[in-house]
Amino acid sequence: MKADIAVVGSGLTALVATRTLQKAGRNPVLIWPGLSSLYFLYATVDVLGYTNATTTQPVDEPVRGVRQLIADNPDHPYARAGLAALQDGSSLLLEWLREAGFSWQGTLARNLLLPTATGTPKPSCLVPTSMIAGDLQRDEPIAFCGFDGYQDFIPELAASNLARTWNGGPRSVTSVRVSLPGINSENLFTSIDLARRFEDPTFRRDVATRLRDAVKFDGARLGMPAVLGLTHDTDVHTEFEKETGHPVFEIPTVPPSVLGLRLFDRLRRHLQETGVEMIWAAPAHNAEVANGRCQRIHLKSAGRDQPVEARAYVLALEDAVDGAWRAGAHAVRDPFFHQLLAQHATPAERTDESLFQPQPFAAIGYPVSERLQPLDTDGRPLAANVFVAGGGIAGYDPTSIKARGGMAIATGYRAAQEAMAA
Amino acid sequence: MIRDDLETFADTVEEEQSVEACTKCTACNTVCPVARTTEIFRGPKSLGPESERYRDPHEATVTAGLDLCSGCKLCEVTCPSQVSIQEYIRRAQNKGAREKGRTLRDWLLGHTRLLSRFGSLTAPLANFGNRNPLFRILMERVVGIHRKRPLPKYQWLTFESWFKRHLRSRSPLPALPRERGRGKRTVAYFYGCWVDFNERRLGQQVVAVLERNGIEVIVPRQQCCGIPAVVNSNTDLARKYGVENVRRLNALPAGVDIIASSTSCGLMLKHDYAHLLEIPGAEQVGSRVYDICEYLWMLYEAGELDIDFQPVDTRVLYHAPCHLKSHGIGYPAMRLLRLIPGVRVEEVDEGCCGISGTYGVKVEKYDLSMKIGSRLFEAVKAAGSDSVLADCETCRMQVEHGAGSRSAHPIDILAKAYGYR
Repeated sequence: MKADIAVVGSGLTALVATRTLQKAGRNPVLIWPGLSSLYFLYATVDVLGYTNATTTQPVDEPVRGVRQLIADNPDHPYARAGLAALQDGSSLLLEWLREAGFSWQGTLARNLLLPTATGTPKPSCLVPTSMIAGDLQRDEPIAFCGFDGYQDFIPELAASNLARTWNGGPRSVTSVRVSLPGINSENLFTSIDLARRFEDPTFRRDVATRLRDAVKFDGARLGMPAVLGLTHDTDVHTEFEKETGHPVFEIPTVPPSVLGLRLFDRLRRHLQETGVEMIWAAPAHNAEVANGRCQRIHLKSAGRDQPVEARAYVLALEDAVDGAWRAGAHAVRDPFFHQLLAQHATPAERTDESLFQPQPFAAIGYPVSERLQPLDTDGRPLAANVFVAGGGIAGYDPTSIKARGGMAIATGYRAAQEAMAA
Repeated sequence: MIRDDLETFADTVEEEQSVEACTKCTACNTVCPVARTTEIFRGPKSLGPESERYRDPHEATVTAGLDLCSGCKLCEVTCPSQVSIQEYIRRAQNKGAREKGRTLRDWLLGHTRLLSRFGSLTAPLANFGNRNPLFRILMERVVGIHRKRPLPKYQWLTFESWFKRHLRSRSPLPALPRERGRGKRTVAYFYGCWVDFNERRLGQQVVAVLERNGIEVIVPRQQCCGIPAVVNSNTDLARKYGVENVRRLNALPAGVDIIASSTSCGLMLKHDYAHLLEIPGAEQVGSRVYDICEYLWMLYEAGELDIDFQPVDTRVLYHAPCHLKSHGIGYPAMRLLRLIPGVRVEEVDEGCCGISGTYGVKVEKYDLSMKIGSRLFEAVKAAGSDSVLADCETCRMQVEHGAGSRSAHPIDILAKAYGYR
């Protein structure tokens, strides 16, 4: 098929790139292989949590932190994208979220400190309103709430960890556990199953009553796993606060990420409703290059490869998870140009033994030009009309500095701008 | 399998479509229409790749729960590692049925073509029986077909017979300039059992639209595509059908494209013959197969589609069938419909309709099937539009039944825009 600009990807990077093109009056087609990487990777938009991988001191003002990071590391993906792309891209995203019916809060000028499911404070920048009450810069006591049989959130663990590290004043951290109406705690159920249940007002009110009875002291805020509705987040959260009589905040859980799915599902629908063509279940691969330009890329459709012919291409894959690169025993290559991105004597070289250290595999990607074009081994663009955003860029390792959302927005926005000019 | 090869790109587990490519991420369970509707279903992850690791070809198959899988393939569409989840389920189901035997009901539903041929030959009687409440109670008791499920109406004149007459007659189809043989393209139409025995008109519309564009239509002899057998624990039978179809379709002259107007038949030809059923020569067939709307859109992009459309003043909803999503071609019907003046088309994006071919017909699955489709029905009712378009025949049956709306294949609008009444 023919398209104006083809965006390949399934995560925030691809969504922001697509929206940028749409708002500029262009006609993007969004191509993604299956489920969005928002399912695995996102709950909040983190812009810069830590200035480097070793510090434990969170960044207070993300925008200042990024400015400094760019000054110190001219090759960092943030530097390639530019601070303006982060700022303009974030405004675009926040405006889009509002238009799509979300309630989100936060600015690039300030990080919030929110408890994770294990009770550690984590800096985040732009977050759903349903998480705001968890801000650890506030004073109210916290009661972590868990559910019998639900294995992805252990309130006792969150409470004991937070009580050890949260040291700013006379605060109380407790945990409670309630059983869920109509759910057999012997069955395995996920956050998704719970989130669907919470959209049922009868179920929700019943749980609210049980929690109200279980939480002993007034004025506490309730920290619960993010299961307050799979689609209608703001309504469920607001109602649940009224019904429990406490401020309530959601805490992201291990995948499946309800917060990520909520975001993806709504934004995808919004793009579709506003006329953006999408092709899913068709992983893109094989770029056909002639005269220095990509003529078409190929989709693995049923039965045969399907060519997509566009003026420009934004390769916005987030991670190995959604196919930014493919690893064999020794070689790591990209799926489009089959460039050798990394080579290892043993696969063990790609990982650090400690899960909590930066992982070498995270930084694998294309070297890119000033305009985010992927470069060959001699430093020449592989194709003048192809631009890389997100995890396909070499040195793109947002995990250790808690910058996944910000880097996605900045590179997605910038790559879209470049694609329009190509 | 990991190959010790620095220069080969395909040295990844994903390339092998292996069960080991499953990272147990649970994405499939999240989108599974059955798992989201009932707790008794353990979901595609558990019944597909997880169980597969424990399946032993020399031991009896554990079949519990396998029949709850409706075969919509959304799990495969969603899997970030492209694991063929369905194929594991279908193969295990077939092996289990070989060991334990099949019910009369599943045997009958797997032999759709046979059943339809019989229904067509006895059309007035069969249609009377299918609408007769007493007969339906009997049918539910004896065979296990739910009494409330409206069954498709059979037609005495098959599409195949009509097409033979059409070829013999020199007169053009109504309101269309007949330009048979003028163009340089010839297509072979895989019409499928539905068009042959139940909706001849759709086949006529497909022929009309293609001939209007100067394309010569030929109709090769064909067997059931096999999907009803696949989803009724009988991949053995499906393979038999598939082998026959592959032989006939591979005998077509080079340069003849194959089109299908049913998304599920098309998907069988394109993908499942080669992968699930492992039929030799199936890849050559698959690479020539196009969904009818996909084909017309390709013509449009090549500047070959006649876009001299009459305005069709209508507001319609479009429901994308699950199996269309598996084609990985986007929604070509939506793109085509937007070319026609007067047509206002909106997608009703509420997921699976719930019928999944013969699944929602079964007495023990009917309620579940209606519950799966309830979001779609509500959305259709709320939208209050003329009708719902869907490329799949059983989706249309389900929407008509569940939402009480009219339904049609998108080609219906296209044929109207060309003046075919």
